[in-house]
Amino acid sequence: MVKAYRMPKLAMAMNEGTVTEWLVEDGAFVELAQPLATVETEKVAYEVESPEAGYFRRMLEEGDTVDCDVVIGFFGDSLEELGEATLDEFSDLGDQSDTPEAIDTASDSPTHEKNFSERQKVSPAARKKATQSGINVSTLQGTGPDGRVVLRDIETALVSLQDLSLPAGTVLARVPMTGMRGQIAGRMQQSLLAGAQLTANWESDITELLALKDNLPTRISVNSLLVRALVLAIREVPMANACFEGDSIILYESINVGIAISVEGDSTYDTGLKVGVLPNAESLTLVEIDVQLKALIDRIRNNAADSKDLVGSTVTLSSTAGIGPPGLMSTPILNSPNVALLGPSTPVKRPVVVGDDIVVRTLLPLSFTFDHRALDGEPAARFMRALHDVLESPAGLLD
Amino acid sequence: MSRIITFIDAIQEAIAEEMRADESVFVVGQDVRGAIFPHTANLVEQFGPDRVVDTPIAESGMYGVAFGAAQEGMRPICDFMFGGFTYVTFSEVSVTTGQYHFLHGSQKPLPLVITAGVGTGQRLANDHAMSIHGTFAHHPGIKVAMPSTPYDAKGMFKAAIRDNNPVVIPWHMGIMMLKGEVPDPSEDYLVPLGSADVKREGSEVTVLANSLQLQHALKVAEALVSEISVEVIDPRSFVPFDMDTLLASLAKTNRLVIVDEDWESGGFAATVSARVMEQGFDLLDAPVLRVTLPNMPVPGGYMEEYVAPNPERIEAAIRQVCA
Amino acid sequence: MSLSLAQKKLLFTNLTRADVFNQMMYRRMMQGKLIGFYHPAEGGIAPGVGACTFLNQDDNLSPHHRGHGIAHMLCKGIDIKYYLAEHTGKVSGCCQGRSAFHFSFPDHKVYLMSGFIGYNFAPVVGWGWAAKRRGQGQVVMNCSGDGSYGQGRAHEALLMAQNWQLPVIFFCENNGMSIFSTANEMHPMPDIASLADGFGMPSVVVDGQNVFEVAEACLGAIASARKGDGPTFIEAKTLRFKEHDIGTPDLSGWTERSEDELAQLRERDPMKVATEIVLAEGWMTTDDVDSIREAALLEVAKVEAFADESDISRPPVEDLLQAVFAE
Repeated sequence: MVKAYRMPKLAMAMNEGTVTEWLVEDGAFVELAQPLATVETEKVAYEVESPEAGYFRRMLEEGDTVDCDVVIGFFGDSLEELGEATLDEFSDLGDQSDTPEAIDTASDSPTHEKNFSERQKVSPAARKKATQSGINVSTLQGTGPDGRVVLRDIETALVSLQDLSLPAGTVLARVPMTGMRGQIAGRMQQSLLAGAQLTANWESDITELLALKDNLPTRISVNSLLVRALVLAIREVPMANACFEGDSIILYESINVGIAISVEGDSTYDTGLKVGVLPNAESLTLVEIDVQLKALIDRIRNNAADSKDLVGSTVTLSSTAGIGPPGLMSTPILNSPNVALLGPSTPVKRPVVVGDDIVVRTLLPLSFTFDHRALDGEPAARFMRALHDVLESPAGLLD
Repeated sequence: MSRIITFIDAIQEAIAEEMRADESVFVVGQDVRGAIFPHTANLVEQFGPDRVVDTPIAESGMYGVAFGAAQEGMRPICDFMFGGFTYVTFSEVSVTTGQYHFLHGSQKPLPLVITAGVGTGQRLANDHAMSIHGTFAHHPGIKVAMPSTPYDAKGMFKAAIRDNNPVVIPWHMGIMMLKGEVPDPSEDYLVPLGSADVKREGSEVTVLANSLQLQHALKVAEALVSEISVEVIDPRSFVPFDMDTLLASLAKTNRLVIVDEDWESGGFAATVSARVMEQGFDLLDAPVLRVTLPNMPVPGGYMEEYVAPNPERIEAAIRQVCA
Repeated sequence: MSLSLAQKKLLFTNLTRADVFNQMMYRRMMQGKLIGFYHPAEGGIAPGVGACTFLNQDDNLSPHHRGHGIAHMLCKGIDIKYYLAEHTGKVSGCCQGRSAFHFSFPDHKVYLMSGFIGYNFAPVVGWGWAAKRRGQGQVVMNCSGDGSYGQGRAHEALLMAQNWQLPVIFFCENNGMSIFSTANEMHPMPDIASLADGFGMPSVVVDGQNVFEVAEACLGAIASARKGDGPTFIEAKTLRFKEHDIGTPDLSGWTERSEDELAQLRERDPMKVATEIVLAEGWMTTDDVDSIREAALLEVAKVEAFADESDISRPPVEDLLQAVFAE
């Protein structure tokens, strides 16, 4: 059997040794304890002795230095055996038993978190980046250990949203996505990513509603009438007046109508958007709605709004009437965490069938966005029907 | 101009040069004249037995020479031979030393250096293999550093000798013969204590490692070059500890593996991990992992090889933190 | 106290065994068959043999680190194969291969060996105190070198042992060297034994190259301690023929010990001294001497075979962690 002979570790801090002289010929038969070589360590020279009896192959040149435990020769029972021996066979530490598996890193500390809670795992860095980018982590499936959401998951989500190729050409303006623009950007993106929102569009005949409005003692805006319509429809489908919170949907008794109000932007080419809140619309008369709405819009446009004016909406009204083209159909984005948003636009005159006649009527285009996580198709349709009915038979709008 | 010398010779050069430059510097230890380890070789021949002092096997008395002399304005280098031997006179080296300047109203400095050989790899079991940097880092008033290369060794030992505070600067026996470039003696350079060094740049994970473990970490980083980009940082000092370099690295990589050849329980790696959590929480994309000695006395025989931190364990930790 | 023939023969046999074992350790180091340190005992085997041959199984022993206490332990009936297996990292070693060479044989009341010179002085006080409490006449044989008496705890042990009259024999094997430092340079007095004077402890200085002289003094001290007459300090003047540990140069101070100096020391090789005595006294022939040596060589061969045929100890880390605390 061929046995490896390794550079012995003769001294405490000996890391390498030099064979300054072999004391036996290559291939010679060596007795046990016969002087084999002179080995120099960093400090002292020693005459090392043969640990075996057998034929010896020298594998190191005189004067060469190797680390301790490196193979420097072979013992064999015959010269033939020696001839076949190669260094590769002895790359491990001799005839030891298997090395036990490398232990887990922090040794006797657990290497996996015990699951003390069912919370979604999100790394701190990922959470921070998600917040900054307006990404809702709860929508993400983490690819880290134990399903943890990690940075690459946020990056993946972002990349799929970005168009990274910018056009060439002279730049007119550079609008940073900070401040109000940044908030809008973040909220809109988050809203789309987080929910399961869809929009349904229809037109309601408001010819009678407009006639009714003109006959009122005071000037009431169409928006106020729409707020009133919302209140009535919500009575039919309360789920339309709700918000998401964590893993629950909170339905509210009070109907706080968020009103999207365009304001001046932070810079020349930009505009701004604020959502004022008209609280407790269910308890207001049409006139009260109108008065408060006007005051709210004024306050917001004059930067005199206080925090109560800007938070707490349970449903939102976002109108482009008078601004967009007639009959505009759109897909407005929900005002998170609301479940529903009503987006009317510029009325349009169309020929419609009344009875068996074709007449010209004024139609109000309506876009209703709702989150299917809370409001299913059937109740949504009922809600829209209720809204449509009260708009087309507007007497109900008056208290 | 520079040349290649060994780690231990770099320390010898630092000591010899400082002794030449400043008469108040002296070495006290056991068998330092005969140089049981090469870093005190050729000193007594140059500077005489009054400045290279051998004492009886009396650690308290031996350290007393250093401590008292330092109070009297001299600059001793007290050599304990093996790090574990500091425990023989532990109250002096830790409590009395650490508190001297502070408790007494910062009236006087205590300029002394404590050094000793430490580290696994010699198959000598606990007494001769244990590390001491973690324990000394725990006691306030003492600076603690460990060099990992010949260049750092010379610069840091010089800085330690010139420092007006007690500095514990052990050296790892496993890198005693490590060769590296060191400037010519004509160039007097220092490596300031309290500064870490990025020994290898990378982008996906930061590995903090020192002395022998630094060499292991560099080896692993090179082996992983086509898979994971590993940044390797040598803290060089434990007290004061360069947190800025570490946090800047984490801002880039978001992942940290700390390799520390010391016990898991209460070792310096735990301190760094806690500080990173406090100061760099949002930088972390994964928990900080430590590769340490398990909580057992360092065993002898052939067990060190797989019990102590080694390249396999470092690689496993890197992969785990990047999962 | 003069020795009987049987006692002398036992001493000579143990000395031969200690000599052969020591040579075996050195040889194994040169053959790359030993891990860690070995501190050769060439020139210094007689004191341990003299001190330990007549100890009982239930006497405490702290062996000297020189020669790794093999000379001391074999006298006490400890099977050295378990020591060698330990020193070669084998499962069958006395400490399951965990200690490097820091042996422990608690059944023979050799409790520990540590890397810190002078570690022994704290425990021996405890062993002595416990022995005194038990009142069964056990003694504590504390063997350590001249260097160890630099430790503060050595003086604490002398103080307390004498003050409480503990049954401890402070056996100092003074070979005049500690790594490179000489006792001349490190101690103000020529005899370490003079330390005992300061505590009022009886002391004696003997020729550590003469195993019989050492044994006589020790028998006296052991008898004293057993009777309850307190500690004794015995200083055996001995020699070190080789370097402190294999791999370290053989320096005195900072210059190499010369061949001439070493040749002079070897004149008083303890084996040579003992052989001359036994032959001169006429109760042994050279054949007897040879057959004792042959028996020792056979014994060593068995010890080596046991160690070499045992498996290397590499238990999983989990198992080692379980072993940190006792049940």
